[in-house]
Amino acid sequence: MQRKKPWWQNAGLRIGIALVMLVLLGGAATGVVITQKAPQQPIEFPHNFHVGTGIPCAYCHSGAETGPVAGLPSIETCWGCHQQLRTNTPRLAKLAEYGSTNTPIPWVPVFIQPDFVHFNHRPHVAAGLECKTCHGDTAGQTVAEPIPGQNMGWCLDCHYKMAPENFTRLSDCATCHY
Amino acid sequence: MSEKVEAKKWGMVVDLDLCTGCQACVTACAMENNIPYTGEDETAYGRGLHWIRIQRYWKGEYPEVSPTHQPVMCQQCGHAPCEPVCPVYASVHSEEEQINVQVYNRCVGTRYCANNCPYISRTFNWFDYPHPVPESYSLNPDVTVRRRGVMEKCTFCVQRIRHAVDTAQAEGREIEDGEVMTACQQACPTGAIIFGDLSKKESAVSQAARSQRSFRLLEELGTEPKVVYLKGGGNYGG
Repeated sequence: MQRKKPWWQNAGLRIGIALVMLVLLGGAATGVVITQKAPQQPIEFPHNFHVGTGIPCAYCHSGAETGPVAGLPSIETCWGCHQQLRTNTPRLAKLAEYGSTNTPIPWVPVFIQPDFVHFNHRPHVAAGLECKTCHGDTAGQTVAEPIPGQNMGWCLDCHYKMAPENFTRLSDCATCHY
Repeated sequence: MSEKVEAKKWGMVVDLDLCTGCQACVTACAMENNIPYTGEDETAYGRGLHWIRIQRYWKGEYPEVSPTHQPVMCQQCGHAPCEPVCPVYASVHSEEEQINVQVYNRCVGTRYCANNCPYISRTFNWFDYPHPVPESYSLNPDVTVRRRGVMEKCTFCVQRIRHAVDTAQAEGREIEDGEVMTACQQACPTGAIIFGDLSKKESAVSQAARSQRSFRLLEELGTEPKVVYLKGGGNYGG
């Protein structure tokens, strides 16, 4: 006589649970991958070329030295140089289209913070930090790529290493969250 | 970069002899801090959102009655009853600014802090209140738009404090007295609200706080409030 199996050894139930777990984990993994990938930009901006020609970051991201937001370049900034340059590649043709009609380029910001985080570029630049400390080596990238795991622990880790004597101020909640 | 910035002890003085109860501070606070308009019904249920309110008292017997008004906001207690009760450390004391800060992204909405606040100065977001298009243009980008289920309260306009501190630092100078103005202070038509650094003896707020008319709300609880009220009891000029 075969003993009746307890309910948790039911094969159908186990397969069902496994499927649900697979879907959930797969969804989570997809979400993580999507958020860590560089978003689609209107023009595949070659950072490597522009940084390579020696243009300082602040020429296009001009707000970083003076204010909280570094900003993305306006069409005037791009077109200021590019109207005198050739437009014979697809990317440059796209730029010429924006430039000649004076339409703002809908850049997609990559390094964004949630609404409850108030990051300020100015003190970081004033403290002598280089852009690539937080933004990665853009000289090797075309479109800007996000840094994975750039969260509060990442901020605090650097704050502690850079200035342990100011850590009370630099770890204060009200410094970034209000 | 190892500049030594001393901890500021921000404080406020509210002169009740000057307050007319006009509610301009309430409006200014709502505009500055993205406080949604909950409407009449919600407020009747006790879900109104205000970081500052005007308490009205009546003096005398009818028909010789006169109102007195008292603006009450978070008293930014030095020894705050809301802080130790928060299970997720969302209500913490800022060592730097010496105020009580509410960390919205930590808050899980137990509302314990509000129940423990003797000044009833904390309000809770019961719902996601919409900011429809013309109104959303007036949202302050320096202040978080809170979502449903978080506690909120007066921050002493910490975004303005941060802005002023940052500007002063950029220009390489000390922050001046009166450089930080809270929204309620800015809106007050009679100048009844003074804001500044209580740790400096010569600041306007320190001088006003040393007045003989000064008192603090529920001082006997030992909460060490940073808001000082002035009230002369009608006997002016000796």
